[in-house]
Amino acid sequence: MDTKITYAEDYTLQELLVAAAAREIKDREVVFVGVGIPCLGALVAKLTHAPNVILTVESGCIGPTPYRLMLGIGDNSCGENAICVTSLWRAFSDQQRGYFDVGMLGGAQIDKYGNLNSTAIFGGGNYDRPKTRLPGSGGANDIAISAKRTLIMMNQQRRRFLEKVDFVTSPGYLDGPGSREKYGYPGGGPSVIISNMAIFRFDEKTKEAYLYSVHPGVSADDVRREVSWDLKVSPDLKTTPPPTKEEVEIIRILDSQKIYTGKGLKGLTFDNYMAMLDSSYEKLRTMFR
Amino acid sequence: MDTEDTKKSLDKRMSLQEAISRFVFDGCSIAFSGMGGMQVVAPTYEIVRQGQKNLTLMGDSPCECGDYLIGTGQIRRIEVAWLAFAVAGVSPSYRRAAEKGIPQKIEVFEFSNYTMGLRFLAGAMGLPFMSTKSLMGSSIEKYNPMIKVIDDPYTSQKVTLVPAATPDVAIVHVNRADRLGNAQYLSFSSNAENIARAAKRTIITCEEIIPEDEIKRTPMLTSVPQYVVDAVVELPYCCHPWNMPCAYAYDIPFHMEMMAAIETEEGFKKWLDEWAFGCKDHDDYCEKVGWSRLRKLTQVERKFYKSVL
Repeated sequence: MDTKITYAEDYTLQELLVAAAAREIKDREVVFVGVGIPCLGALVAKLTHAPNVILTVESGCIGPTPYRLMLGIGDNSCGENAICVTSLWRAFSDQQRGYFDVGMLGGAQIDKYGNLNSTAIFGGGNYDRPKTRLPGSGGANDIAISAKRTLIMMNQQRRRFLEKVDFVTSPGYLDGPGSREKYGYPGGGPSVIISNMAIFRFDEKTKEAYLYSVHPGVSADDVRREVSWDLKVSPDLKTTPPPTKEEVEIIRILDSQKIYTGKGLKGLTFDNYMAMLDSSYEKLRTMFR
Repeated sequence: MDTEDTKKSLDKRMSLQEAISRFVFDGCSIAFSGMGGMQVVAPTYEIVRQGQKNLTLMGDSPCECGDYLIGTGQIRRIEVAWLAFAVAGVSPSYRRAAEKGIPQKIEVFEFSNYTMGLRFLAGAMGLPFMSTKSLMGSSIEKYNPMIKVIDDPYTSQKVTLVPAATPDVAIVHVNRADRLGNAQYLSFSSNAENIARAAKRTIITCEEIIPEDEIKRTPMLTSVPQYVVDAVVELPYCCHPWNMPCAYAYDIPFHMEMMAAIETEEGFKKWLDEWAFGCKDHDDYCEKVGWSRLRKLTQVERKFYKSVL
């Protein structure tokens, strides 16, 4: 831990995840954002160490600075103060062309090569009659294939961290070294998995995910219990740094009703929601200045 | 199906009921604009009311138009990238159909958002397919026979082909249009401009019908020209509870109430009894939501958008 930085003492797990995502983003990068914690991460990066980051959104929005919480990838906020509003196929074509540095992904299942499933949990059934039908790829497959690198956010559970996923919606390193090259994917593949317990990175030679750091209060064994494959642990295992005071303050302004970093949408009344939109405009406009 | 050359008409204005009954027919393929917001909700309710059957839905990431029309048994096949309600939750009707065959088994052909966009682009260009680096090597490619991976004849590298999407009818919602069908967005447009062009029949719904002179004053905003369009319907608050840029904010508290209501099959039927069959048209729906609530969504939106006009 860096001693010159003032870390927060009072913070939630979600706030730590937002900060961890923010730290994966460098200044001047072009980041294809998804909603929720990854998007908050990109905004925190923009407000701290990466002021020149360019957010892009699937609906065709490039470089927005939203003065309210993004409630979807086609929310009105996506076009706010943007440098370009265009179409979906154009944004994705820019990605395939190689202009996007970072993509953000999640899924219901992941394997050791970072392949993600967001299509269906077979659970004794099959693709045509799955136990749990999930929404599907959306833009995830395109991001996984074409973003220069991807950041993956996952819930840490043994049934989600699998030797093999039921369905590869979004390719990571497929069967290991050389797989992405075989298809000539434009993008480089996953660089990090951030879970609610730990951070994983990928071995350059084997392309396998290994344990890089554990969040405060979590042990390597705790994580191993929630991973189905024989997990390799970094000989230099770290503890994930907590969010800084500044980061926590920013997160609490960006997500004042704790929609992504707390109780979610349940119990959000129309009046509270209107008040949230109303007040966020002034607060965020000042913050982004 | 209507055979009149409606694209040449000099006044395409009509009611939503008329547009849907003239151009949406049993067994047709249909596409709706909107992605992650800007969903074409009011026409979806009208199709529920009119009951057209055996539909094929083509889309990137549909919400109500997918969930509702699967739940009513009106859709028999989907060609999509994703189907859910985004931040609000998953699609209960899609899950029931895929997992249990309720109310019926549907055929599912999956793509990704980009490749559905490319399918509409191919359709809009009058070409048979588009090539891409997406999909190859994934299970999406493995399970969908419509996707081909070939060796590129120029470089011998692998390349994915996706076929053109040319729906029988498209319903595309924009900020403003004139009576000829020249249609304008005031912000981003997802795949709308290509969905409009790819379809055989195109219904433009808009927040506001404006004079032709206003179109000619702002031609840089026109994304769909009149020769593409068969019908123009003025339909303010078409997307509610979803957002429409420069018009109204997302009514997410309403959406959460809806999600709770449609979770079960009975709840879903009750919801449609109330909001589709219980309203004779979209005006009736707006009345039921409450004009003051809708006005608040517009007022708050004005805070965030400076008019470009």
